[in-house]
Amino acid sequence: MTTEVQAAPREYGWRMPAVWWARQRHYFLYMLREFTAVPMALWLLWLLVEIQRASNGPTHYSPHGSPWFVAFSVIVLGFALYHSYTFLKLAGVIIRLKIFDRPIPSGAIVLAVFGTWAVASAVVGFVLIWFSR
Amino acid sequence: MTIQAVRFDPDKDSAPRTQTYEIPFYDESMVVLDALNYIKSHIDGSLSYRWSCRMGICGSCGMMINRTPKLTCNAFLRDYWPRPITVEPLSNFPIIRDLVIDMDDFLHKLKSVQPWIIRQQDIPLGAREHRQTNEQIDDFRQFSQCINCMLCYAACPVYGINGEFLGPAATALARRYNLDSRDEGLKKRLPVIGEAEGIWECSFVGECSVVCPKGVDPAKAIQQTKLDTTMRFVLPYGNRE
Repeated sequence: MTTEVQAAPREYGWRMPAVWWARQRHYFLYMLREFTAVPMALWLLWLLVEIQRASNGPTHYSPHGSPWFVAFSVIVLGFALYHSYTFLKLAGVIIRLKIFDRPIPSGAIVLAVFGTWAVASAVVGFVLIWFSR
Repeated sequence: MTIQAVRFDPDKDSAPRTQTYEIPFYDESMVVLDALNYIKSHIDGSLSYRWSCRMGICGSCGMMINRTPKLTCNAFLRDYWPRPITVEPLSNFPIIRDLVIDMDDFLHKLKSVQPWIIRQQDIPLGAREHRQTNEQIDDFRQFSQCINCMLCYAACPVYGINGEFLGPAATALARRYNLDSRDEGLKKRLPVIGEAEGIWECSFVGECSVVCPKGVDPAKAIQQTKLDTTMRFVLPYGNRE
């Protein structure tokens, strides 16, 4: 009696194309969203440098005020607002709360989260403006 | 109508190639699966692909239609006419032959989350009912619609880049059972779904939910699980049953 041993069938392995993100609009927007974190990280690094300088006394503190940096800051603010909006909007999808066994509508959760964001921003803004006078 | 189908014979081809077929488009209700069946019956009997129910239930006929993962029984030719249709095997999976992919990795991941009801102590059949309210069923109903068609895996670039990622459908089904009031298996599933290659690998592309033919929202399942596992870690007594 002979036993025939068959080799395992050869498969063609999947390889992700380098330009996968350019193949669909949704993927491109996702990559754009992710890359907006890079300028935000750079801006925050610069903020840390300025905080470190400020800790050495007023004479060492020289905030960057060039028009280019102001324009960069405005763009980064736009990115930060966009990320905050998408993140907080997600709260309505992922947070599950119930009152008396009834689920709270996602719209109410989103409203509460955005309301908290607005109040927190107002408080931080007030503190910054009040103590900088 | 022109159908461009990917062909791959492991005994002859070193890489997949494309073969073009012309098929008659005579009926508005024709779907891509009908076109493939016409090719197999009348033009080229060697074309290989999976299919079964023809009504969007079995989940076996998923393929890339013009680079978008779809069930071929649910993709109407009229939506593409007069442009040619490109049919490829599902992305992110090894190709066995033509349009047939190797689904072993998905099946292994699906089994790893134990997508069935786990009880700490089984109640004998006939002892009593496991009653649920409508609200309790609503908690997990949409996640239970998954038909394991793997379109979400084909749409997920995270899975395409890192094959170790647990992936959308497995997480959605784990969530389906974790939310079931009859289930007591959360702690058995957590080591799989809570690890680095589990939910935390997801960077929320969201395409898995877009392509799902049954309206399941795996991206939502993953983000909800992220929040739940975090709360279990942060809150006092969060890990108790």
